Amino acid sequence: MFDLIFSTDFFFAVLRITAPILFATLGAVVGEKAGVSNIGLEGTMMISALFGSLVSYWTGSWMMGVLVAVGLGILTSLAMGFFAFILKTDIILTGIAVNMIGSGGTLFLVKVITNMTEGKALASTTSLITTANQIPSWNIPVIKDIPVLGDILSGHCVLTYVAFLMVFLTWVLLYKTPMGLNIRSVGENPDAASSVGVSVLKVKYIAIGFSGAMAGLGGAFMSMYYSMGWSLDMVAGRGFIALAAQAMGAGEPVGGMISALIFGFAQALSIKVSSKGIDSNLVTPIPYLVTILGLVAFALVVRRRIKKQHSAEALKAEEK
Amino acid sequence: MKKFLALILSLLMVLSLAACGEKAPETPAEAPADAPADAPADAPEEAPADAPAESKVYNVVHLVNGNLGDKSFFDSANSGLEKLKADGRINLTTIEMGGTVEDEPKWLSTAYEVAESGEYDVIVCGTFQMPEEVKEVATQYPDQKFIIYDDNTYVGENANVLNITYKQNHLGYLMGIYAAYLTTDTSIERINEDAVIGFIGGMDSPVINDFLAGYIEGAMSVNPDIKVDTRYANTYVDTAISKEYGLSMINDNKCDVIWGVAGNAGNGGAEAAFEAGKGYFLGVDSDQELTFNEDLAAITMTSGLKNVGNSLVWVFDELDKGNEYWGTEVTLGIAEGGVGIVTDKNFAKFASDECKAAIEAAEKGIVSGDITVSSDFTDHDKVMELREAVKP
Repeated sequence: MFDLIFSTDFFFAVLRITAPILFATLGAVVGEKAGVSNIGLEGTMMISALFGSLVSYWTGSWMMGVLVAVGLGILTSLAMGFFAFILKTDIILTGIAVNMIGSGGTLFLVKVITNMTEGKALASTTSLITTANQIPSWNIPVIKDIPVLGDILSGHCVLTYVAFLMVFLTWVLLYKTPMGLNIRSVGENPDAASSVGVSVLKVKYIAIGFSGAMAGLGGAFMSMYYSMGWSLDMVAGRGFIALAAQAMGAGEPVGGMISALIFGFAQALSIKVSSKGIDSNLVTPIPYLVTILGLVAFALVVRRRIKKQHSAEALKAEEK
Repeated sequence: MKKFLALILSLLMVLSLAACGEKAPETPAEAPADAPADAPADAPEEAPADAPAESKVYNVVHLVNGNLGDKSFFDSANSGLEKLKADGRINLTTIEMGGTVEDEPKWLSTAYEVAESGEYDVIVCGTFQMPEEVKEVATQYPDQKFIIYDDNTYVGENANVLNITYKQNHLGYLMGIYAAYLTTDTSIERINEDAVIGFIGGMDSPVINDFLAGYIEGAMSVNPDIKVDTRYANTYVDTAISKEYGLSMINDNKCDVIWGVAGNAGNGGAEAAFEAGKGYFLGVDSDQELTFNEDLAAITMTSGLKNVGNSLVWVFDELDKGNEYWGTEVTLGIAEGGVGIVTDKNFAKFASDECKAAIEAAEKGIVSGDITVSSDFTDHDKVMELREAVKP
């Protein structure tokens, strides 16, 4: 058992499973920081996944595919923002609408665009995409020669590295730039931010646009590396898991990354466990079980912190 | 701009489909909900009991709840009907109703229209998406005969509906034999010497386990000591996760043949084999060597098929013999040509002569009854024991 888990391909799988969730988590983190709950991450990923792979097929360049995926992610999210901020629809309902477009709408579009007539259950663009259209993997020059570490860290999809790099960049954006300060202040107290001359609307648009870009990268990862081409409902809930990871990570980039890693670890674990022939009905819930345990642990920590705060305040009050 | 363009395109498509749909039935369908049993006066009542020497020519309409060109069920069904038409046994009208969510409301109204017109002896349609429509219309028009293939949701509820289903376990048996021969044939590159084959199922459910039952028994008929690594992805859409399962099968258990029976998710098995550079994939439902890209098609050794077309021909053969099955479910296996495997392309190239002979012998044995294949529907416990016994 342990030799299975503590193998290099296990940890390699953890990173691979984590990457798309991590992208969406970072999107959720920045959105939530600005007080925008982007529940439409799942649908945005689906839309980006479809057009990323199609553009890569049309142009023969995976970079164009990724660019279009990111661009469409931003556009979809900005449209969501337009409905929510200007037309004053409920952002949760708008997000649900985007998710429905991501499921049914992409299927409709793929039939219109590619003239594909496969039955609904089997609709996919797998017939079009070849390895040439996929995002390449990258062997890191020096690290790949290090015995164990090299096998785990090297040879991933380019976007996997981008995902972990984005954790750092998102942290810099939020905590080291004026824009980050604006985002956080708009999320904490929009009225106060507005009173000191921050354009709340602009900041919210930027935040939701950023979260759309992240979802776009996640979508591109799904259809242009993880699977060959787009297929119906292929994101399969990763956008929602990201929302959970955001909450579990206390809304912080690094916390979100750790939560996403926990989920990736649990998922990879469940697959390794199944290789021992353990009943699939016991194996499949492992990631969700781990997520629930994580949330419980997180809630306990938060509660203790609040209790401490309260008792400290109470002490202070007594001293007075 | 792109959205605008897509909108125009989609409008065009909807319009063109609507135009197609209207052409078929002459009689306009006006609120058929209140038109009960008194419907067509000239109801198709044939008297086949005396088995006429000159067979009746049936008027058949094929309602496709999608579009032809799917290289799968619809094309297969239509090829069978076209064959019957070419033989002068039926007059065929095919209506493509479209398969998108937007088209779905049209399925019911089209079914009503063709039933109301009364000019068809048999309405043929299929897939798990149509039983509701068929049930409703069949209840309104009890004299109208319906055939629905690959569905058994409402068997026997309407005396005028025939459900055709397929023996997945027969299919699995042939696939199992092929897989067992492949997995030890080290003369083929990417194959290792271990006799371990794999199976990715969509869910731990009777239909999927019926495939599995045949697969295991077929493989064991070749090599009693063979190991079968069975995983359930618990999804039919998440290709990525079943790719992870596939990689684990290849890396941890030295699987070199993976049969994916999990809709789109099953294709993850092919992607795993492609990425690992080890092993091969077996497809299901349609000839996946035709629907995959060239990379994945190259490592897809064959596909298990439900021959919808053959099964429809079988039904009309039986009708001509005077055997009617209306109101029941017929489950067709190898004997009726209802299931089979793709035998050209990679199969022709990679299957050894011994393997081809074994598959032919198995087909003959199943038809003659010398070989019985367990089914998960009838001997669930035995199949589960078998699954545990062959775990790697």
